[in-house]
Amino acid sequence: MNAAEPLLSLRGASKSYTLGGNTIHALQSVDLALVRGEIAAVTGPSGSGKSTLLNLCGLLDKADSGDLLFEGQPLPASDETRRTHLRRLAIGFVFQGFNLVPVMTAHDNIDYPLYLLGIGLAERRQRVREALARVGLSGLGGHKPDQLSGGQRQRVAIARAIVKRPRLVIADEPTANLDARTAAQIVGLMRELAHREGTAFLVATHDERMLPHCDRSLMLDDGVLKGACHAH
Amino acid sequence: MRIDVKWLSLACSNAMRNRRRSLVTLAIAATGTAAALLGGGFALYTYESLAQASARDTGHLVLAAPGQFDGNDNMPLEHGLAGRVQLTRALLAHPRVTRVLPRLQFSGLVSNGDKSEIFLGTGVDARQEFLVKGPFMKLEEGALLDDGADGATPGPGPGVVIGKGLARILNVHPGSALTLMSTTTAGSLNAIDVTVTGIVSSGIADIDKRLAMVDLSTAQELLVSDKVSFLSVYLDDLEHSDAVGAEWRKRYAGQLEVRTWLEQALFYQSVKGLYNRIFGFLGVIVLVIVLFAITNTLSMAVLERTREIGTLRAMGTTPAEVTRLFSLEGLVLGGGGALLGMALAAGVAMALLVLGIQMPPPPGRTGGYPLVVAVSPAMYASAALAVTLLAALASFLVSRKAAHQSVVEALAHV
Repeated sequence: MNAAEPLLSLRGASKSYTLGGNTIHALQSVDLALVRGEIAAVTGPSGSGKSTLLNLCGLLDKADSGDLLFEGQPLPASDETRRTHLRRLAIGFVFQGFNLVPVMTAHDNIDYPLYLLGIGLAERRQRVREALARVGLSGLGGHKPDQLSGGQRQRVAIARAIVKRPRLVIADEPTANLDARTAAQIVGLMRELAHREGTAFLVATHDERMLPHCDRSLMLDDGVLKGACHAH
Repeated sequence: MRIDVKWLSLACSNAMRNRRRSLVTLAIAATGTAAALLGGGFALYTYESLAQASARDTGHLVLAAPGQFDGNDNMPLEHGLAGRVQLTRALLAHPRVTRVLPRLQFSGLVSNGDKSEIFLGTGVDARQEFLVKGPFMKLEEGALLDDGADGATPGPGPGVVIGKGLARILNVHPGSALTLMSTTTAGSLNAIDVTVTGIVSSGIADIDKRLAMVDLSTAQELLVSDKVSFLSVYLDDLEHSDAVGAEWRKRYAGQLEVRTWLEQALFYQSVKGLYNRIFGFLGVIVLVIVLFAITNTLSMAVLERTREIGTLRAMGTTPAEVTRLFSLEGLVLGGGGALLGMALAAGVAMALLVLGIQMPPPPGRTGGYPLVVAVSPAMYASAALAVTLLAALASFLVSRKAAHQSVVEALAHV
């Protein structure tokens, strides 16, 4: 892949929902290009279409119209197998509600994406240990989600998203539940991954602490991308 | 597609997520499996007992002259078998043959001087006949034909063993004198005086009212013939009946008719046919109950974990892997239930052996029989496999739709 080529491109992407007989235009003709190593923040009021944009970019949802290219390759909405494969291989997710699997320990939650990739047990253990250390949770790998605080769960979710060294991380309010020190630690980790491994981050956030550390901030209003300001 | 310890461990953890619900499902699967195994075990024991009784009664193989089995003789022994001594010697040369017993079937009237009654008689080899009958012919009073020294009887004439029903009708006891009257092979009437040596019970009231057994020579003297009706051949194992029967059909084609015990055992066949339908139907009901229980449990689990399914799918888990995970959960619940059910059924079967519970006599029978449930490894394996696979199938079906739904919708599920 050409270094200058966007990792992910949205061209004229629109998405509507029907709710109670009303059509809601969640996204209207959005153009977006995300390059490797970039941290892009998506801001906007509630209902502005942030989650829809994240879902489209994370290949979880399909646009009604417009094109999506991943690493320069068009990704048709009908090709669910390739979308699933790309999510498994190249995309990490941090969900707002953490979405950890309750019957798995923190270690197993983080291990799961590596297991899906067919990585050997020894390497998986090593990488899970590293990921836990990076989010400051060494020693808590054996805890189940219900034995962890909200902030700790958030960090397990972040570790799970980055452990497979994805090319793109989609994060919905990744620092929302964290104290200032831990939030700074997580943002530092994101910057490090973006810089050293070229991981791109698309982050929906209201956290003012986070915005200065993003490369640019995208403002969404009523499904329309109003503009981008370069924050970093 | 991999199925390894990680998937299995996750399936086990998920299966135990809602312990109470899973335990109820396990209990239903276990009870269903145990019920099917106990019902099947009872039927199996009944088949084995009836097969043994039939084989002991007729012999594993029955050899007769052509036409004998058609049952349309105009005269006694019209299709009788001659030359039994040479034939017996030839048959005994076969390595699988343990005994060859001649049998001469005849009928007529038996009289005590005051009263006459119809009897169905058999001329037998007195020294061997009662050895093969075993527990299926019970001596109620007196002695068997071969118990007297050198065939001596407690009264005049040769001995006769009669059924207890016939003894009651004629009001006779061991030592009583009777007269047997029958038609000879030439069509004339003949009679012979006999002495009752013993009174027996076959367990079937209708047979006991007509049964009379005399030594073969006595029967031949009465019918004025040296023929027999057929030869009953006993093998070292019931299982060899078909093979040896097929061998002899080829060897004696055109000279003799060969039938296996199964072809003669009409009662066995009708009971087996009836029980197969009854217990087969019960088995299907049990499987349907297990299917519903597992389906209900897994449906609830799928509904509760829709958001989790969305998360797994978001991380790149394919729909096939999601359904596999739920199928493994079904497999764990079904397999666990099947194992418990097998243990339960085996425990009950053992307890029945120890307790020795007797069943009441079936219709037409005079005695009860022990309530025994057979433990067949093949049947246990089949039932466990059926319940386990059914559970996995139910899980597969209920999770398939959820696994294929939109990831966004699944993640938004509350």
